Amino acid sequence: MTLRESGARIARLGGVVTAVALLGVAAVYLRALKYTPVEATQGAAQKIFYIHVPAAWAGLMAFVVTGLLSILYLWLKDRRIDLAAAASAEVGVAFSFVILTTGPIWGKPIWGTWWTWDARLTSTLFLFLLFVGYIVLRGVLTDPGMRGRFSAVIGIMGMILVPFIHLTVYMFRTLHPAPIVLKPSRPSLPDDMLTTLMMSVAVFSVLYVGFLMLRYALGLLHEAHEEELADAS
Amino acid sequence: MPPDNTNFMIAAYVVAAIILVGYTLSLLARIRDQRRRD
Repeated sequence: MTLRESGARIARLGGVVTAVALLGVAAVYLRALKYTPVEATQGAAQKIFYIHVPAAWAGLMAFVVTGLLSILYLWLKDRRIDLAAAASAEVGVAFSFVILTTGPIWGKPIWGTWWTWDARLTSTLFLFLLFVGYIVLRGVLTDPGMRGRFSAVIGIMGMILVPFIHLTVYMFRTLHPAPIVLKPSRPSLPDDMLTTLMMSVAVFSVLYVGFLMLRYALGLLHEAHEEELADAS
Repeated sequence: MPPDNTNFMIAAYVVAAIILVGYTLSLLARIRDQRRRD
């Protein structure tokens, strides 16, 4: 199967997965806004948690996948692995944008400020900017081998930051709430709220897969086009 | 009595929807453009 055929096939499948996931997001919106109780101390703003946390889960997962694929690329030197790593990085940036917008919108009514330079927020912003840099770097490097190697190094460094970001709330004094699900003890959340959160995490995971497939397909189609231009010249 | 901050909740949900749907449309448009170029 040629690169173009693979790209077209993955694009079709990715479109279906993304459409299903977006319907799932609509279902999460309905459940969170209409059928999940309002938290007693924070009020309606607490419901931002049902999109902020799953977006953080999907975004950080995307960066971990980029890091793992980057290691694999440096080992196997297969350009398709490099394209998949780049696809995951861009999807991670999109989810990070959701994290970095919904977080401050929650922070204003609850903390009284849109932003504070504490460890969790600053390290998340740093990770976002690191991967924006990753995308810019890929745009300016024309040699595919150099582009793959350089971006793989940034991808691996970004992945190393992910567990550090998760642990910042334990390591530093921070305003950001500590994890209530991903922690050694039982999740400290009522069952109906936990169900909404888990449903949202599942839907955002599927959305990540859909986005990844679409972005990877775009990379394959672009690669096929570049190869044909190189052959023609 | 919980505080009334519904506007913030709505704003966050709208912003997230715009980003997610916008990114989907951007990916689909870029794929369509790439296929037209071929």
